[in-house]
Amino acid sequence: MARYEIRIAGFGGQGVITLSKMITMASSLYEGLAATQTEAYSAAARGGKCWAEVVVDKDQDVKIIDYPKALQPYDFLIILSEESASDVKPNFLKKSDTTGYLIWDPSTIKKFKSAKRIKKGLSIPVQKLAVERFGNIVFGNSILFGAFTMLAGIFSEESALETIRNFVPPNTLDTNLEAFELGKQEAIEFLKKLEEGQE
Amino acid sequence: MISEKRFLQAGKHLMMGNEAMSEGAIAAGCTFFGGYPITPSTEVIEHLAKRLPEVGGVCMQMEDELASINAVMGASLVGAKAMTATSGPGLALMAETISMGANLEIPFVFCDVQRNGPGTGYVTEPHHNDIGFARFSGNGEFQIIALAPMNCQELYDLTITAFNFAEKYRCPVFLMSDAYLGHLHEVVDIPTREEILKKIIKRELPANTKGRVFSYKDPSTGEYVIPSPPIMGTEYCPGLFLHQPHGPDGLPTPKPIVFQEMLIEKITSKMDEISLTETYKLDDADIVIVSYGLPVRSSYRAVDIAREEGIKVGIFRLITVWPFPDEKVKVAVKDAKAVIVPELNYTGVIAEQVERVTKLETPVIKIPKVAEFHHPDDILKVIREVAK
Repeated sequence: MARYEIRIAGFGGQGVITLSKMITMASSLYEGLAATQTEAYSAAARGGKCWAEVVVDKDQDVKIIDYPKALQPYDFLIILSEESASDVKPNFLKKSDTTGYLIWDPSTIKKFKSAKRIKKGLSIPVQKLAVERFGNIVFGNSILFGAFTMLAGIFSEESALETIRNFVPPNTLDTNLEAFELGKQEAIEFLKKLEEGQE
Repeated sequence: MISEKRFLQAGKHLMMGNEAMSEGAIAAGCTFFGGYPITPSTEVIEHLAKRLPEVGGVCMQMEDELASINAVMGASLVGAKAMTATSGPGLALMAETISMGANLEIPFVFCDVQRNGPGTGYVTEPHHNDIGFARFSGNGEFQIIALAPMNCQELYDLTITAFNFAEKYRCPVFLMSDAYLGHLHEVVDIPTREEILKKIIKRELPANTKGRVFSYKDPSTGEYVIPSPPIMGTEYCPGLFLHQPHGPDGLPTPKPIVFQEMLIEKITSKMDEISLTETYKLDDADIVIVSYGLPVRSSYRAVDIAREEGIKVGIFRLITVWPFPDEKVKVAVKDAKAVIVPELNYTGVIAEQVERVTKLETPVIKIPKVAEFHHPDDILKVIREVAK
């Protein structure tokens, strides 16, 4: 059993659920791993506080996720709104060599008290970058997906790209792939810095 | 016209539980859905409203639950494989007609995406609190079949099984899903159309138009014979069969006991075919977990950890919950020093069935949960206590 528990939180319409589905699709359909996804229901997903959870098992022999809920401490936490950031504490994340990462968006979260105390916290101004570089906020999802793919190492880049091809309208594919690359580079730099800091 | 091209492509698909159930229905040849939206089953009607017309079927949102179940029965009577989906409060409203469906031996599938109750309850929380209600979902005595899936793949596969059972045994067949399972996303492996067609039972006209149209006990063999359902609007439609207990020809019978016995025995005498069960590490187990649906998933991990600690524990899983498989359970718990029943409800409906079967000679320990399902640790804790 090599179980990974992921939680994404933000507000409805930000792409919280889409991102969770992309992670699930890459892990299960393209990487062939057992995975489950659950999401906030109905009204909450439309403008209110929204969340989604993914559980993946990297062990190829595991055919079914026995307990499909993600629980604290999480392996990965992606926080996209100030409201969801307000109740995050450092102990929400697992203490592990390979996981225990936080990804958050400083362009939507002005105050994030706990972020300073989380060493493995990667901040990417996703919404700002999406608008500035690609002209539309929707590309933020692919930036996050790129960063997550790199940080988590659960599924290969190939599986991730295949997922993007499956998810986005064909005329936006190139831009989405660029956005993915941007997120990936952010994560690579972050990991490098983290490693230097440890030495 | 049914368009073969519009069926889901064979291979792996990432799907929500409610969608998997809907696609299972389409694969099984369902061409009529009548329903009224209710959380947490709404995605079923939403999905079928789009998909059924694509395969030549009809999806109708009726004015209420009673109209929905009546429309389903009507559609089935004229030859369509029909289904409805609802949650607990909807089942309460539909109960009026379910017993009439059983009485007239109308095949249909009933998806119950169970939510917390009673009354309105916590609408988005899972709760297996309709498990008893489904069994006794109407006036009079009749037997239903109920299946309990535990993942999205089974929501697809068992929906096909449910339609087959409905056709074969001509009774209401319940699919006991829940709010969590209905909204869970998982990969579903869809077989090829050829493989599915081999598995499904088609609705066919009875071979003999003057023959018997309802089930009866064959006096020479003592076995129950269940003919294909009559189809109204064809020459196979019997003249009179409504409102009164009827005989095999569709005419009122002066012997209510014969009819009553038939409604129940035609199903309970076929337990070998109907009762679907699974076991996990049960062979040498002296502690037996009996469960169904989501708690089974958590039980797997609990059993694995307990086994590492040297505790001999195994799982007996009910896929067919009703009719309750007395004989199989008896065999499974024969050598057990204790039976643990983790159930996603407070009263322990199935635990009571186990107690009945074991005649209270073996301790039956309930692990009740309300509106959330068991964490493996909840079950492990009880296993350790019992093993002491």
